[in-house]
Amino acid sequence: MIKTVELTKVFRTDEVETTALNKVSFEVKEGEFVAVMGPSGCGKSTLLNILGLLDNPTGGEYYFLGSEVSGFTERQRASLRKNNIGFVFQNFNLIDELNVFENVELPLIYLGYKTNERKQKVEKALEQMQIIHRKKHFPLQLSGGQQQRVAVARAVVANPKLILADEPTGNLDSAHGEEVMNLLEQLNKNGTTIIMVTHSQRDAEYSHRIVRLFDGQVVTENIKEQFAL
Amino acid sequence: MLINDLKSALRNITKNKFYSFLNIAGLAIGFAAFIFIFLYVRNELTYDKYNRNAARIYRIESDFTISGKHDQFAIVPVPMGPALKIEFPEVEQFCRFVNAGNELFKYKEKEFYEKDFYFADSTVFDIFTYRMLMGDPKTALVEPYSIVISQTIAKKYFGDQNPMGEIIEGANNDKYKVTGILEDIPSNSHLRFDALLSGTTIAAMQGADNFNSMEPIRFWNIGVYTYLLLSENSSMQAIHDKFGDFYAKYMKPVGDQINASFNLMSTPLLKTHFYSNLSGDLPKGNLTFIYIFSVVAVFILLIAAINYMNMATARSAKRAREVGIRKVAGAFKRQLIGQFLTESVLLSLISLVISLVLVYFLLPNFNTLSGKQMSFNIFTNPGLILIILGVALFIGFISGSYPAFYLSSFLPVKVLKGSSAGGARKGGLLRRILVVFQFFIAIVMIIGTIVVSSQIRYLRDKDLGFGKDNMIVLELQDTSFRKNAESFKKELLKNSNILGVTNSTGIPGDNSWIQVVKMEKDGQMTDHAMILALVDYDFVKTYGLKIVTGRDFDRSMGTDAKEAVIVNEATVKQYGWTDNPIGKKILWGFELDGTGGRLLKVIGVVKDYHFNSLHNKVEPIMLFLTERPRVFLSLKINPEGMDQTLKYVEEKWNEFGAKRPFDYKLLSETWDTMYESEQKLGVIFRLATILTIFIALLGLLGLSSFIAEQKTKEIGIRKVMGASLGNILGLLYKEFIVLIIIAFIIAIPVAWWRLEIWLETSFVYHIKISASYFLLAGLLAIVISLITLSYHTIKASLGNPVDAIKYE
Repeated sequence: MIKTVELTKVFRTDEVETTALNKVSFEVKEGEFVAVMGPSGCGKSTLLNILGLLDNPTGGEYYFLGSEVSGFTERQRASLRKNNIGFVFQNFNLIDELNVFENVELPLIYLGYKTNERKQKVEKALEQMQIIHRKKHFPLQLSGGQQQRVAVARAVVANPKLILADEPTGNLDSAHGEEVMNLLEQLNKNGTTIIMVTHSQRDAEYSHRIVRLFDGQVVTENIKEQFAL
Repeated sequence: MLINDLKSALRNITKNKFYSFLNIAGLAIGFAAFIFIFLYVRNELTYDKYNRNAARIYRIESDFTISGKHDQFAIVPVPMGPALKIEFPEVEQFCRFVNAGNELFKYKEKEFYEKDFYFADSTVFDIFTYRMLMGDPKTALVEPYSIVISQTIAKKYFGDQNPMGEIIEGANNDKYKVTGILEDIPSNSHLRFDALLSGTTIAAMQGADNFNSMEPIRFWNIGVYTYLLLSENSSMQAIHDKFGDFYAKYMKPVGDQINASFNLMSTPLLKTHFYSNLSGDLPKGNLTFIYIFSVVAVFILLIAAINYMNMATARSAKRAREVGIRKVAGAFKRQLIGQFLTESVLLSLISLVISLVLVYFLLPNFNTLSGKQMSFNIFTNPGLILIILGVALFIGFISGSYPAFYLSSFLPVKVLKGSSAGGARKGGLLRRILVVFQFFIAIVMIIGTIVVSSQIRYLRDKDLGFGKDNMIVLELQDTSFRKNAESFKKELLKNSNILGVTNSTGIPGDNSWIQVVKMEKDGQMTDHAMILALVDYDFVKTYGLKIVTGRDFDRSMGTDAKEAVIVNEATVKQYGWTDNPIGKKILWGFELDGTGGRLLKVIGVVKDYHFNSLHNKVEPIMLFLTERPRVFLSLKINPEGMDQTLKYVEEKWNEFGAKRPFDYKLLSETWDTMYESEQKLGVIFRLATILTIFIALLGLLGLSSFIAEQKTKEIGIRKVMGASLGNILGLLYKEFIVLIIIAFIIAIPVAWWRLEIWLETSFVYHIKISASYFLLAGLLAIVISLITLSYHTIKASLGNPVDAIKYE
C-alpha cells in the first residue's frame, strides 16, 4: 500500500540546512500495524507528515496506493488525503469552537456527504469510541482521554484505508492511553492499516512491526511477529 | 511608575508595527477630519459675531401683500431706514447697502468688473465693526464719490503704492476718491463686500431731494438692504408692535390706491446667515449640513476609537501571558489599568501630532474646497488647541478603557497555564457589535453620498424647458451701446455660426423684474405683482421655448409690438385662464390712479420653463415686446468653431464702439454656479464618506489579520481534514459578511428617512430615492470589505497545513 524509495527531506532556512530524512526506504502492506520509533529529532514526525501527504519530500519517491505522489500539488494531496487517510495527533487538534459532533463531522463535510448520511456515520463513530453521550459538548469541556477518543472518532468516521497516529498517547495518563491503544488495535483487526509514531515501548508492543529511525535513517526494521513465540 | 508605563507603552507600540500603524493612521485621519469639520462648523456658526454690537443689530425686510398675494423680500424701500430712525426712539442708527452692479472700475491701466462693490451710508462704521487700516471712519463715506476699499482691492489696483487720495473711475466715468482702506471682511460675514462707495453719491446723482424724499410713493419701491442698530435695552418687537401707526402715516395713502399693504419684518443680524427665506437675499448657510457635518465629525472619531478598542481586545490573548506574569510579580489591577491606559493615551497623542501636521499642510486645499478662509494658528488660537487636546485625551481614555479593564482582569493561573483566557471569544460579541456599528455608519454615509450626488446631477441635467447649451450672454452695460442693440444684432446674424440672437431684460436664471400689473381675473382687472421680461421677436425661438397654445410674436402682425404678450402655463393656471387664455388682458405701466398704461392681450402660452433657479418653483411670467433698450443680448452659437465665432463677436463689439472690454458668459456655466454651494457640500460630504470608509476598512484589516492569525491552527486542521482553499476562504469571509449585512439592514431605514426629509425640505425639485441606491451601497460595502479581508485570509489559507499545526 505504501512504499518509499530513498525518501529525503531537507529543511533550509537562511543559514542552516537540516537533513531530516536521509534516503529512507521502506514499505507498509495493507492491514499492517507499524510503529516508528526513535529519539527526539530523529525525523519521525517529518516521515509521518510526508506519509500523510501533509508535506512533500525534497528527494526520492513515495508510492501511495500504487501512484507516485511526491510531486503532487496541495490540491491533489488534499484530495488523496481526505479520501484515504485519518489522522490522530498527540495534542488532539480538535477545533475548540466546534462541538464533538461537529468536529467528527468535519471530514465528511469536505467529502461532500449529505446531512443524513453524515449524521449516521458520525453517530456510529461516536458510539464506537464510546463518546456519543458527549456529542454536544465542546472539546474544552472534556478530559484529555475523551478528547483523544473524539479525535480517533474523527479519524475513522470516513472509513479511511490508513490511519496515521503521531504519539497518540503522549498527552494521556496510562489508563486512558491504554484505552486509546485498544481502540487502535481493534481498528487494525478490522482491516485498517495503521502507522504509528511513538516514544513509548509499551505502545509499540501493540504493533506488528517496529521501524527504528536514527538521524533520518532507518536503522532496523524489527519484525516482531517473526520473533513471536 | 509613569516612566515605566511610558517605556512599556513605547516598546509595545514599536513591537507591533503593523497594528500600531493601523491604529495611528486611523486616529490621525480621524483627528484631522474632526479638526477640519470643527473649523468649518465654527466658521458657519459664528457668522457676523465679530461685530461688537451684533446683539443689537437687525436687518429689516419687506412683506408686501398685493391683491391678497404675499411677497417677502430681504430688501426694503430706500427711505424706510431714515424714516424709522425719525419715528422710533428705539432706533439708534440705520445703515443701507445697495450693490453697485457688475460695473467696470478703472485705475490707470488696471480695469476690472467688480460685482461686490456696494454703496453704503456713512453710518456703516457706527453699526458694524470693520477694521479701518487707513482713513477716518467718521468721515470716509460722508462726501459723495468717496470709496473705501479692502486690502485685497488696494493691492489689486495699486500694488504697493499708497491708494489714499487716488481716484478710481467707475461707471459713466464717475470718479471716486479713495478715502479709506479696510482690513478684508471676514469670510464669516453674511454680507461681504470688496469696497464701499458713499451713499451720498446716489443722492448727488439723482438729486438730493429726490433721494431723501419721504413721499408715500417712495415707500412702494424696494431697493436696499437696511440694518438698524437698536439703542441699549430696546427691543425690535416694540417697533413691530408700533409699525401700524408708521404705516398709516407714511405708506397707507398709496397702499389703499393700489390695493396693497405692507408689513415690516426683521431678522437679528446673528441669524441672517441661516434663518431667512426671502427673495433677493444673499447666499445662505444650510443648517442641516452643519448638523450633518458635526455628527459626521463625531462618527469619524468614534470609528477610529472603536478600531483601537477592537484590535486591542482581539489581540488580548497575546498579552495575556504578560498580564499573568505582571500579576504574579505583584501588580495590582489598578496599576495594570494605568499601564494600559498610558499606552492608549500615548497612541492617541502621537496620532494627534501627526494629525496637526496633516491639517497644517492640507488647510489651503480645504479652504479652496469650502470657499472659506480659515486659519488654524495655535498661537493666535490657544482655545482651539486646548479643545483638540482635550478630545485626543478623551479618545485615548475611552478607547483604552475597555481593553484596559478587560486585560487587567485576567487570572494569572489561567493565563500562565496556557489555556485561552476565555478572552478572545468573550470579547467576541462586543467586537461584533462595534464592527456592525462602524459599517452602519459607513453604509449610511455611502448612501448619503450617492443620493446627494444624484440630486446634484439631477439638477444639472434636468430639462429646464429652454436651450441652455451653446448660449452666450452679453451684458450691454453701456446705455448708449444698448441703443444700438438692433443693428449689432443684425451684424452678428451675418455670421452663419450664430444661429440666433435676442435682446431682453431678463434671461433664464436672471429674471428679477417684478412689477404690479392688472390681470384679467374673473372678468375684472385686478392688481397683482408679476415677474416680467421685455423681449424681442426672437426670444422664444432663440431660447427654444415651446408654444403650447396660440402663437409666438410675429413681425408681420403689426399689432404685436404694442399689444402682444406671451405668458407661461403657470400664469394660465394661477389666473384661471385654462379654458381660453388667448385674448386675456393685462394692463402694464399704468399710473398710480390706475389710468394710462399699455393694454396687452395674450397671444400665446409657453410651456413652463425654469427662468429662475431650480431652488424656486416656476412662477407666472409675462413676456412682451418693447422698443426700449434691453440689457441682455443672448446668442445661440454653433458649438463647432466656437473660438472663431467668439472672436467675430468681439470684433463687432469693438466696432460698435463699446466702451467696455468685451466680456461674455456661458449660460450653462452660470446655471452650474447656481448649485455651487450644493456641489461644494457634495464634495465635502463625499470626502467625509471616503474617510469614514477608509478608517472602517483599516479596522477591518486589523481585525481580519488578527482573526486569520488566531485561526491558523483551525485552518491547518481543516486543511488536514481535506478542506479546499474555497472552503477556508468561505469560513473567514462568512464571519464578516454577516456583520456587514446586519449593518446594511439597519442602515436602510435610517438613511431613507433622513435623506427623504433632507430632499423634501431643501429642494423644490428633487429625485425620488430608489432602492438601487441602497443596493449599490450595500454591494460597494461588501466588495471593498472582501478586498480588504482578502489579503490576510488568502495568506492564511494558502499556508502549508504542517506549519499550522506544528507542535508548541
